[in-house]
Amino acid sequence: MAALKISTLVVSPSDLSRLQRELVGLNDFFVSAQARQTGTTMQLPKLTRVLNQLAHDNRINLLEDDDRKKLADALKQVEHDAPTLHVSFATEASPKALEKLVVWIRSNIHPQALVQVGLQPSIAAGCFLRTPNKTFDMSLRSSMKKNEPQLLKLIVGAIDGR
Amino acid sequence: MNTGGLVLIVGSLLAAGGAFIWLAWKLENGGLGKPKVKAQVQGQLQIAAQEDVEHIFNTEFREELRNRGRLHFEKILGENAMFLQQDLRQTTTQLNDYMRAEITRTLQEEFKKYEQSIVDAKQIALDSIQKTVATIEQQRQFLEQQMKSETDSQKQRLVARFESEMATIVNHYVLQAIGNQIDLTEQMDFILAEMQANKEAIVEDIKRGSS
Repeated sequence: MAALKISTLVVSPSDLSRLQRELVGLNDFFVSAQARQTGTTMQLPKLTRVLNQLAHDNRINLLEDDDRKKLADALKQVEHDAPTLHVSFATEASPKALEKLVVWIRSNIHPQALVQVGLQPSIAAGCFLRTPNKTFDMSLRSSMKKNEPQLLKLIVGAIDGR
Repeated sequence: MNTGGLVLIVGSLLAAGGAFIWLAWKLENGGLGKPKVKAQVQGQLQIAAQEDVEHIFNTEFREELRNRGRLHFEKILGENAMFLQQDLRQTTTQLNDYMRAEITRTLQEEFKKYEQSIVDAKQIALDSIQKTVATIEQQRQFLEQQMKSETDSQKQRLVARFESEMATIVNHYVLQAIGNQIDLTEQMDFILAEMQANKEAIVEDIKRGSS
């Protein structure tokens, strides 16, 4: 199977784990369906939008055992191989903002990258990114630190203007 | 008897005495011839002269002269007493004036000395006050300078610290001012720009981490 296309609905490793659990539940359903007695009614499991989207993006038929197995393997492969980026924001990220960030990361960094979102109120604005070996301070404080001469110039100008 | 009478009597006595003396001198210088006779005559003349003197200056006359002398003496004594009294009064007056003048002069001198002492004391006090004021002024200037220096130093320290911690301070103020009001969506352009700037480093680190 080609590399799994992960939708922007799958953001973090938790989402991936949730998908795996849902897939296992679906498999269990089909196993129990085969073992059911004729004439008994079965309640079909309700699939999440994430799993549906994933299946649609990767052209997988969830009713087929082989496809489900391929998907499970692919998800396991992603869980093993996909890089996880820890991003901390000052406030809780909105789904829209998070989607925009995930799209950019998967377009520019790694197509299967997962994002673990954290909260760090002290950074005020911007974000703090942690990769496996490095940290990237992309906060407002860091930006102001970089532009300290300009900031100083602005403050001096404001004081003189007073 | 007045002074004129007394003078007349004394004058007649002196004329009689002078006549006796002239006669005796004449006899002694050869008027009588022989020395024996001469000596005899001279003896007689002396006796006669003595008798005449005794006759003229008898007891009454002497008493009269004594009385006159006493009265005259008393008069002179009275006059002198009066003169003495006047002199004494005048001397007393002069002495009083002199004493008054001396006392006044002494007092004026003392007053002048006292005034001078007061002026000197006042001058010394003024000098002392001026020195104290000058010292206080120096102290004030020194303290002012020291405080200014300390203030400038403190200001420099604060400015240096502010400049070194400016990013943190501004960040803190921004955080206090806007808190959680900044929508993350509005920050995405900034975040993506920062991501773009660090893209190569992120990719490199992910590759290294996954290998």
